[in-house]
Amino acid sequence: MTPAPAVPPEVAEYLHGFVFGERPIAWLAIDSAQTLVAAGGALAAHGLDAIRSGQPAPEQVCFLEGLLPPAASPFRLQHVQTTAGRAADLHLFAAGGRVWVVLIDSTAEHDAAQRVQQKAYGMTLLSEREAELIEELEAANLELTRTYGALEESRAELLSTNQRLAKELEEAANYVRSILPPPVAAPTLTADWLFIPSTELGGDSFGYHWIDDEHLALYVLDVSGHGVGAALMSVAAANTLRSEALPNTDFRAPAAVLGALNQAYLMEDQNNLFLTIWYGVFDRRTRRLTYASAGHPPALLLPHGACSAAQVEQLRGREPILGVLSGMAFTAHECRVPHGARLFLMTDGMFEIRKPDGSMLEFDEFLGVLAQLVPSGSAELDRLVHVLRAMHGAGPFEDDLSIVRFEL
Amino acid sequence: MALQKKICMLGAFAVGKTSLVRRYVDSIFSDRYLTTVGVKIDKRMVTVGGSEVSLILWDIAGEDDISQVRTSYVRGAAGYLLVVDGTRPGTIDVAQSIQRRVEAEVGELPFVVLLNKRDLQSLWSVSAEHIAALEFAGWTVQLTSACSGEGVEEAFQALAERVIVSR
Repeated sequence: MTPAPAVPPEVAEYLHGFVFGERPIAWLAIDSAQTLVAAGGALAAHGLDAIRSGQPAPEQVCFLEGLLPPAASPFRLQHVQTTAGRAADLHLFAAGGRVWVVLIDSTAEHDAAQRVQQKAYGMTLLSEREAELIEELEAANLELTRTYGALEESRAELLSTNQRLAKELEEAANYVRSILPPPVAAPTLTADWLFIPSTELGGDSFGYHWIDDEHLALYVLDVSGHGVGAALMSVAAANTLRSEALPNTDFRAPAAVLGALNQAYLMEDQNNLFLTIWYGVFDRRTRRLTYASAGHPPALLLPHGACSAAQVEQLRGREPILGVLSGMAFTAHECRVPHGARLFLMTDGMFEIRKPDGSMLEFDEFLGVLAQLVPSGSAELDRLVHVLRAMHGAGPFEDDLSIVRFEL
Repeated sequence: MALQKKICMLGAFAVGKTSLVRRYVDSIFSDRYLTTVGVKIDKRMVTVGGSEVSLILWDIAGEDDISQVRTSYVRGAAGYLLVVDGTRPGTIDVAQSIQRRVEAEVGELPFVVLLNKRDLQSLWSVSAEHIAALEFAGWTVQLTSACSGEGVEEAFQALAERVIVSR
């Protein structure tokens, strides 16, 4: 049997018509001098209807610039779009001493490929952007984590420092309290006190001690401001009085004591801190009380049975605060203390009480409260604080509360 | 007849090659991205040293992860513009890779690097150090924006002059 041709003429004719119909084809023949020698096919479909034989090919068909002679034969470029707006597969091959250029329309294939590629690139760009954003977020997250770690470290350090300082302040407060004298309940003298520090370390201190068998020193002082500095100075001044550590000073003479104390605690040497003080000496033999004061609230003397503010004797001094002027002289005052009288020494925190409506407790009002208290030893001071607390309302007092009560 | 020179636009996909040609040839810009398949051919006349030169611009489909730029498209070119997207630093690596392959395939040709999309300041990711490194390697770098037209005319003109000088 004779083998059948690979493609029968009928099939070849059909395919020829199909390809030419579906994909317009144009061709060019170019000689070795790059002159166009012939052209045919669907030239207009590829925008080549104006070309002329006998003219240089690259000048008329610009995409041939640089392609002649072809680097290889055949040489093929896919989807070449010219200004005609169509895409064509470009085939160049050498045959018969000429270069043949064949353009096969690929517009449909090009458009289909473009739609797929457009979608793919769109997705790729989105994915690239997403990766960038994730990277930025991760970097930001890392930075935040680092910052958070650093803040945690700082916080722990601050907490530790705060705890240490709180402990030191507590120790300081305990020391301030430790130098206060113990209450006394003797036949000839009863002394007790109440000391309520405010939230901060304060500058209040007080004391009493026998100078000799007959003379009792009594004092209360208040250093300006609050905090460690005020507390240190108040402790130092109280210790000075307790240990009678002022040179060449008769501690039975209040004016001399304040004069010497003024020189020892000049504010220019004390970081601009100053203090107020009331200092008295009770002679139990004569029952005379000599006292001097520097800017301090008066001591209050209540005769036995006193029950009104009018019966309260205010033991005031006239001198200003201590430590402001060098060489300042102080004046001593004197009064007689009746048997069974009560004497109160205090700091201003006792009566400078702010009420819930914002107004301040009047000093006379405070005297009235004090006078109406029934003498009952230390319970009397508890009762006084209870009344003041009721007037003040909830929350800590603004200042230290210090009061010493004597029954003489 | 004016001198004709084939110039190729090369780079990663979506760096703005087609937009640069549109800006240069037609003075227009569209922010709608339309990917290039194969190659688009355009033409523009320039004057170099008092002579008219016809630039035949081959805007070649960009390179992606799957398909590389076909260097056969570059055959017969007198020079090329290597386009980088200033908002995508990775496109610098693609440009460097293309440059190496083109040089291996067709030899040394004049080229200029275009750092495109200069108008997108908030997304700009190519640092001054990046640019300095390219220039240190002997590359001519031009900042461009197909959107605003910044640097476009200058970039094509610079390449045309280098092409004519190296002829």
